[in-house]
Amino acid sequence: MKWRKEDLEKYVQAKEYIDTILLPIIPFQLADDAESEKHAFQQEVMGIFGSEIEQELSGRVMLIPSYYYLKEGNKEVEVQRLNDWIAEAKDQPFQHIILLTFDATWKKYEKELDGNLLWLPGLHGADIRTKETQGIIRDQVKQLTEIIRSYWQ
Amino acid sequence: MSEEKKQQVSRRQFLNYTLMGVGGFMAAGLLISPVRMAIDPVLKSGEGGGLANVGIAVDEITNEPTRIDWSVDQVDGWYESQVSRSAWVFKDENDEIVAFSPVCKHLGCVVSWEGSEKYPNEFFCPCHDGRYYKNGVNVPGTPPLTPLDEYEMEIKDGMLFLGDPKPHREA
Repeated sequence: MKWRKEDLEKYVQAKEYIDTILLPIIPFQLADDAESEKHAFQQEVMGIFGSEIEQELSGRVMLIPSYYYLKEGNKEVEVQRLNDWIAEAKDQPFQHIILLTFDATWKKYEKELDGNLLWLPGLHGADIRTKETQGIIRDQVKQLTEIIRSYWQ
Repeated sequence: MSEEKKQQVSRRQFLNYTLMGVGGFMAAGLLISPVRMAIDPVLKSGEGGGLANVGIAVDEITNEPTRIDWSVDQVDGWYESQVSRSAWVFKDENDEIVAFSPVCKHLGCVVSWEGSEKYPNEFFCPCHDGRYYKNGVNVPGTPPLTPLDEYEMEIKDGMLFLGDPKPHREA
């Protein structure tokens, strides 16, 4: 399910079946030109990952709007805000909260987060329109759905 | 003199011919759209009517369901996009090719063939343990209530072409 009207209508009917939140967390900054190109690209790739995983597991997973934060911002504050998002979801009750990120700095704060952090190695200098990149993404999506399914067991 | 007169076109004749000509054009103009509509199916291009070549030859299809991915262009309101589609393709016991949509009829997850070790020879949905027999019919007592959808298909030049998913033939 995605955060859109027609899916939400279905979700309200079938709440007991949908117990997993997928939350992409995405850094944003404009100060460093080279870096911002990289971050914009990662944002695009994250969009693809999110929607592909959602498509595979749409009957049990809700892909909610991405969480954006300043790349050089204070992580302690972000952890606090993220935990507020997670608490909102857990109230519903969603049982599994999965955070997707390309940003390795989150690894340090993993223990303070109330959800499961999945860090993905970034794709650098790739072109998302080529067959090879699509193949890589498809393969990674397959492995990610395996991991998410393992949380359900 | 009288011979010559006969060969000339009289005013009356000239007007008759002109009226017939103009009337004929008007009649043709009126007829052309219904006729075009009537023969339209014949004029449809031979593209297989929206079916896409999914890149697998008929000889490659076995009795074991194989997942095939392809993409189609789709215009939906103001979004024009490439939509990826998948199918489980195999030959059934009558040697007929079958292409099932992998979308679970419960809540829309993607099912896989023998996706669970506990249930061999069945399609399995990882989300809520929905199951389908090899013929696409849902296993009673599992969440899905209808069989898997089947793709429209056509075989041309030994290649498999798939269209839109349609309800299962037994549904």
